[in-house]
Amino acid sequence: MKKFSLGNLLVQLFLGLVAISAVVPVLWTLINSFKYRVDIVTDTPKFFFTPTLDNYIYILGRESLVGGVVNSLTIVGTSVLVGALLGLPAAYALARYPMRWAKDIEFFVLSIRFLPPVAVAIPLMVIWLGMDMYDTRTSLIVTYTLLTLATTIWLSIPAFKAVPPEVEEAAFVDGYGPYAVFFKVALPIAIKSLVGALAFSFVLVWNEFLIALMLTTSDAKTLPIVASELSQLGRDVPWGILNASVILLSLPPMLMIGILSKFLNSALKKKRDQE
Amino acid sequence: MSAIVCNKIVKMYGEVQVVHNFNLDVAENEFVVFLGPSGCGKSTILRMIAGLEEISGGELVIGGTVCNDLPPGDRGIAMVFQNYALYPHMSVYDNVAFGLRRLKISEEEIKRRIADVAGTLGLNPYLQRKPTELSGGQQQRVAIARAMIKTPKVFLFDEPLSNLDAKLRNHMRIEIARLHQNLKTTTIYVTHDQHEAMTLADRIVLLKDGLIEQIGTPREIFERPRTKYVAGFIGTPPMNLMDMAVKDRDDHFEISGPSGMVTVSAHRFDLRGRDRVTLGVRPSHMSLSAPNEKGTGFNGNVELVEYLGNEVLVNLDCGGIEMGAMVPSNVAPQLQDRMTFSVQEEHLHMFDISTGQTLVKARA
Repeated sequence: MKKFSLGNLLVQLFLGLVAISAVVPVLWTLINSFKYRVDIVTDTPKFFFTPTLDNYIYILGRESLVGGVVNSLTIVGTSVLVGALLGLPAAYALARYPMRWAKDIEFFVLSIRFLPPVAVAIPLMVIWLGMDMYDTRTSLIVTYTLLTLATTIWLSIPAFKAVPPEVEEAAFVDGYGPYAVFFKVALPIAIKSLVGALAFSFVLVWNEFLIALMLTTSDAKTLPIVASELSQLGRDVPWGILNASVILLSLPPMLMIGILSKFLNSALKKKRDQE
Repeated sequence: MSAIVCNKIVKMYGEVQVVHNFNLDVAENEFVVFLGPSGCGKSTILRMIAGLEEISGGELVIGGTVCNDLPPGDRGIAMVFQNYALYPHMSVYDNVAFGLRRLKISEEEIKRRIADVAGTLGLNPYLQRKPTELSGGQQQRVAIARAMIKTPKVFLFDEPLSNLDAKLRNHMRIEIARLHQNLKTTTIYVTHDQHEAMTLADRIVLLKDGLIEQIGTPREIFERPRTKYVAGFIGTPPMNLMDMAVKDRDDHFEISGPSGMVTVSAHRFDLRGRDRVTLGVRPSHMSLSAPNEKGTGFNGNVELVEYLGNEVLVNLDCGGIEMGAMVPSNVAPQLQDRMTFSVQEEHLHMFDISTGQTLVKARA
């Protein structure tokens, strides 16, 4: 057991406050998503109320939302997958096979993330319009793949660099070629950090709003766009519906973060066991 | 037939040459140790033989096949790394089986062979564990099992014991020696530890700055070091080396300096025409004697006494030159005692003062 000390107590207190300030708004959103409108727009916050599923039933019943879910899942899923298929080997090559341009390539990849989306959204819109692919899933998949690819490469390079080179050399001595070494040795050893990189790039494009707003109008709308439209339903802001949609929208990223922290925990646990 | 032939092998990193014209024939079943300080190129040469490092020039032949451009897996070698390099995501069994699976050997055969090797190395209780669950010594044994299982033409060991503690290192060294006695596989073993080299090697290749200083059996290297560097590198405590003046007395030479004087006959060393040499004497060859009227021997005051059990290492101040001498512990030397030592001529080493090459005449 740790010894009690004032400093320790203050740190705990501070961390507690930070946690509360982070969690309470989310909890409040969750509670409000089960309220009727009258219970939300009161002067004093209500903790006891008749719960309702109306908000959820309403948004889940809307065609635009179902379309948004399908769009988001296909677009985000595909761009993360393509980002992984292309990004992981690229990151491995950059980490393991040093060459003259490696540093420049790494920086170029990162620089893709420097550009504010607003600066690229309009040119991209013009390009997709010109190619007659505006408001298609394909155009958004290709655009998002640029984001997931850059993120995946950038985050995976350190993961592959952390694989001990001797282990890969041992596999070479065991007779395996560079591809087998990548798939059978480097990838399985680095997988825990790689899952983190992929989850991060998933969350990034799942929450992406601006580019989706510029590149879609109806057919390829993703969930963030659909959810934002819910607030424009009428003159009265439908708070309950908004809260419910926020909760629904947050679920997939939360699941991803959950997977992520599970991997992190098991990695850390393993390390602890070693010591 | 030689198992391995290195013919003028060169390694360049850009403009920097780190291995110069390395020539070596390793005989079938021989245990050769590459010895040298860090940065001498020993690991680089081993990695070139393994195929993990490109050969910049020269020719490498393993088992009669030129291997310069063959990938590691096709050279008939197996390697044990300093930090074990086990596959952390596989069980011990899979680690050992990994190389065999590529050869499409049936699982039954693999099982039989692993049982065999695991029995030899005492790994049976650990086969289902992950490498991280094993101690350093066990991990290195798994690495050796992984190398053995392929029945290679050549074993390559890259400082395999450096990561182990002293006691375990001793134990594993004996195990490796026993393994070589049983398997007789041609072995190249890299180390910076002269004790490992002396005890394991059939022949030692002593390297410095990418050049061979001397190749020879441990005995040859210890008794007839070819250069001053080899003389100083091999042997604990290290050889006393000092610069002395030479006087030609026709039938013999007088070698003298501030630490003392010795006389040598004319035929053993190539001393004619020289007025200075580097003289070498091992501390264990300094024998305690009484001062004599001729003034031969080394005289010094005891500065430090290190008790080692059967023997005592005495550090002497001999006219401003530091020398070490091993004496039986029953002599019990005291600080500031004046002691005189004589050395038999056959235990003297002499080197050219500028090149460091031995002055012992080649035996007729």
